[in-house]
Amino acid sequence: MSYDLIGIWVAALFTLAIYSFLYKENPLYRLAEHLVVGISAGYSIAITYDIVVGPKLVDPLIAGTGWVLLIPGILGLLYITRFMPNVAWLSRYPMAFIMGTSMGVGFPLTMKAEVLRQLEAAMAPIYAAGMPWHIVLGNLVMIFGTLAALIYFFFSKPHKGIFFGTGSKVGIWVIMLGFGATFGFTVMGRISLLIGRIQFLLGDWLHLIK
Amino acid sequence: MSAVNFWGKMLNVDRRWIFLLIGVVSIVPFLIPVGMPLTTTTEVESIYDCIDSLGPENAIFLAFDFDPGTDAENMPMSVAVMRHAFFRHVPVFMTAYTPLGNGMMMSGFEYVTNQELPGCYTPVDYADWATYRDAGIVDRDGLVAAWEADGHSLPENSVGWVFEGRDYALLGYLPLFHLVILGMTSSIEAQYPEDSHGNPLVEMPMLREHKSLREVDLALTMAGSSACMSWIIYGREKIGLPIAFGVTAVMATDYFPFIQSHQIIGQMGGLRGAAEYEVLMERNGVSATTDKAFTGMDVQSAAHLLIILLIIMGNVAYFAGGFHKQHLMKSGR
Repeated sequence: MSYDLIGIWVAALFTLAIYSFLYKENPLYRLAEHLVVGISAGYSIAITYDIVVGPKLVDPLIAGTGWVLLIPGILGLLYITRFMPNVAWLSRYPMAFIMGTSMGVGFPLTMKAEVLRQLEAAMAPIYAAGMPWHIVLGNLVMIFGTLAALIYFFFSKPHKGIFFGTGSKVGIWVIMLGFGATFGFTVMGRISLLIGRIQFLLGDWLHLIK
Repeated sequence: MSAVNFWGKMLNVDRRWIFLLIGVVSIVPFLIPVGMPLTTTTEVESIYDCIDSLGPENAIFLAFDFDPGTDAENMPMSVAVMRHAFFRHVPVFMTAYTPLGNGMMMSGFEYVTNQELPGCYTPVDYADWATYRDAGIVDRDGLVAAWEADGHSLPENSVGWVFEGRDYALLGYLPLFHLVILGMTSSIEAQYPEDSHGNPLVEMPMLREHKSLREVDLALTMAGSSACMSWIIYGREKIGLPIAFGVTAVMATDYFPFIQSHQIIGQMGGLRGAAEYEVLMERNGVSATTDKAFTGMDVQSAAHLLIILLIIMGNVAYFAGGFHKQHLMKSGR
C-alpha cells in the first residue's frame, strides 16, 4: 500500500469523523478536531524551522558567519518568557519591536490603500459625456448609498427629519442589502467547502467520479 | 393536528433532516451531471485578459495566501491561473503567506504537473537543464528546441515543458510576509536568496529578467484571509504593482470596493470565480476541458435552490402559522 493511498484513507476517515458532528457531537469528532489543531501547529513549527530558523539563524551561527544574527535570535527567544511569570515582561520587547516596525512601515501605506483611495473612488464624477446610463445609475447608488450609510452611523444628532431621519432609514436599507449580499456569498462559500470534500470522497477515495 | 401545530412543527424541524437534504443534493449532481451553463463576469474576465496578454518576456507572482481550510475554493483558481500562465509561457514566481500555504503551493504545483492527469505540464528541474544554461541557452523557444533535440519527448498526457528557473520558481513561505513584499519591491533575490529546492535565485534566468516587483506585470493573491490586503498596501500603493484577487466567497463582498477604486484589476470570488476562469480557458482553447471548479457548479446550483426553497418554506410557515403575531416560535433544535 503506497503512502498516497494511506493518506487518502486517513483524510477520508477524518473527513467523515468531522462530518459526524452533524448528527451529534461525539468522541471521534473531538479526536479529529484536536488532531487538526495539533497537526497544523506542529506542521507550521516544522516548516518554519526548516525554512527560516534553520537556514537563516542556526546554520550561520554554527558556521560562525553570522554573529549579528544573535540580536534578532535573542530578541525572538524573549517571546518564550511569556511562559515564565517572573520574567514575562521581557516578552514585551520583541512585541514592541514588531508592532513598532509594522506600524511605522504600514501606517502611511495602509491609510493610502484603505482610506484615501476609497475616498477618491467615492468622489468620481457621477456623469461624463458618453457615459452609459447604467454606469451613471451605479454611481448615483454608490454615492447616495455611502452617504446614507454614514448618516446611519452618525449618532450626535437624533435620527429625525428629512436629512437625518430619512437618510438613516435609507442607510439601514443599504446596510441590510450589504448584509444580504454577504450572507449569499457566505452560503456559497460554505457549500463550496462541502463540494470540495464530496469531490475528494467520491473521486479520490471511492473513484465514483473523475 | 391543528394548523398552528403543523406550521410549528415545520419551523422546528430537526436540523439533521436539512443536513441530510443538503448532503443528498450535493452528491446526486456529481453522479448525474447536468452541465448547467455558466456565464462569466467582467471581474474574472479582466484577470483572464491580463494574463492572456502576457508572454515569456513578462512575469507574474502567484501567491498561495491560504491554508487547507479554504483549499476547496482557493486551489481550483490557483491551478487555473498557473495552467494559463504556463500555456502562455509567462514565468511564475510562487510564494506563500503562511507555513501551511507553503504546502498548498507545493500541492498546487504537483497537481498541475501530475503526469497521470490529461492536460498536465512536465516540469524540468533546475539542475537537469544546467548544461543548456551553461551553454547560454536560456530563451524559452531555444531551450525547448535544444531539450527536445537531445531526445526528450513529452509524456502522453503532457501539453508542454516547464523549466524551473525559466518558467517557474517555487519561492515559498517567509515569516512577516508583508515585510517580504515590501522588500521585494527593491529586490526579490534579497528576500529569497534561494528557492524552496535550494536553487540560487540569482542564477535563474527569470530572476535576471525580473529583479524586483517593479519588473513584474501582475501579482495574484489567492487568499483565504485578509493577507491579500498586504499585496495592495505594500505592492500596489508603494510601486503601482497590478494586483488581482482570488478570494473565498465569504470574503468577496469585502473586496468589491477595491475593483471600483481600481486598486485591483479583478477578483475571483469562491468556487464560482474559479469555475468562470476554467470556462474562459476552455472557451479560448487554453485547456481542453474544464476542471473541478466547473464540475462543482451543478452541485452549487442545486444546493442554492434547496436553500432558497427552505427559506421560502420557513417564511410561509412563520406567517401562515401566525407566529409573527404570537411570537410562539420555539428555538430550533
